[in-house]
Amino acid sequence: MAKPQKIIGLKPKQTFRQNARIVLPQRVEEVYSWEQYITVPELREELHNMRISVKRLRYTMEFFAVSYDNRFSDFIHTIIDLQDILGDIHDGDVMLDTLVDYKNSCEHNGSCGVDTLISRTSKNRNADYDTFLNKWGQLSDVNFKQKLLNIFES
Amino acid sequence: MGIRMSTAIEIKGVTPDENMENCARRIIVGYFREMMSHKDGAIEGTNIEFVHDMRVASRRLRAAMDDFKECFESEPFKQYYEQVRTITRTMGAVRDLDVLIVRFQSELNGLSTDEQRDIKGLIENLREKRRTTRTPMLDLFIELEANDFDTQFLTFFHLET
Repeated sequence: MAKPQKIIGLKPKQTFRQNARIVLPQRVEEVYSWEQYITVPELREELHNMRISVKRLRYTMEFFAVSYDNRFSDFIHTIIDLQDILGDIHDGDVMLDTLVDYKNSCEHNGSCGVDTLISRTSKNRNADYDTFLNKWGQLSDVNFKQKLLNIFES
Repeated sequence: MGIRMSTAIEIKGVTPDENMENCARRIIVGYFREMMSHKDGAIEGTNIEFVHDMRVASRRLRAAMDDFKECFESEPFKQYYEQVRTITRTMGAVRDLDVLIVRFQSELNGLSTDEQRDIKGLIENLREKRRTTRTPMLDLFIELEANDFDTQFLTFFHLET
């Protein structure tokens, strides 16, 4: 799992609102640093890292929400949607690994019937991945990143 | 598939015009208390949501510590950060198994009787692994208590008034 990017320029003696403008854009950039990898389905680790960065952004937005009169609650909901989809993809990957390991261990003592579930899980995982790419594409079309940065600056 | 999400907590005294360092202390102390409030349930172990809630609170706490690190003296801070990271990691190992068990249980429908039997075998293996994985978590709680972790953490981050 990738380490969080170090926040640069925090000003402990200035106000919470002033620091929101310093911290939030850096957490947005951390999420978008993974964007270059998302169209390569095999790069599971990078997708997982994006999920962790999305969570960090969500939590940081929740900390600072008070500085924006909760004006970005719709943005937080969108980020929670992304987190959910990325979570489903990750769960699918872990389930598949577990099923394949179980199948391999069974083969030493006969066999076990996991092929149907492997096939179903793989199909669901790929559908979740497509849903994520569609959602990400829609957000890019409406310039979601810039909207986020604009509201943080307001 | 029945996996619940925890929500943020309201932290009193965090306002836009308050000084950053004071807000950081309040947020960190708030999420530390939230995290530890689930400890007894996690130790008891029958309701999987306590482990989940404690892990999520530890992640929020770490996110706050990552964001606001510059407000604190680096050496003691690093030590507390590592301890929280150990808590997240230890809880995560148990939680990951809980999620797998729930997911596989929900997938039993639509499988043949033989396949269901085999997946139930897998679920039983995961339950056994969960029992083993809880041991480091329980040992960690004992160690934290022996080292008076709660008091030391709260003393370091508490807002002086």
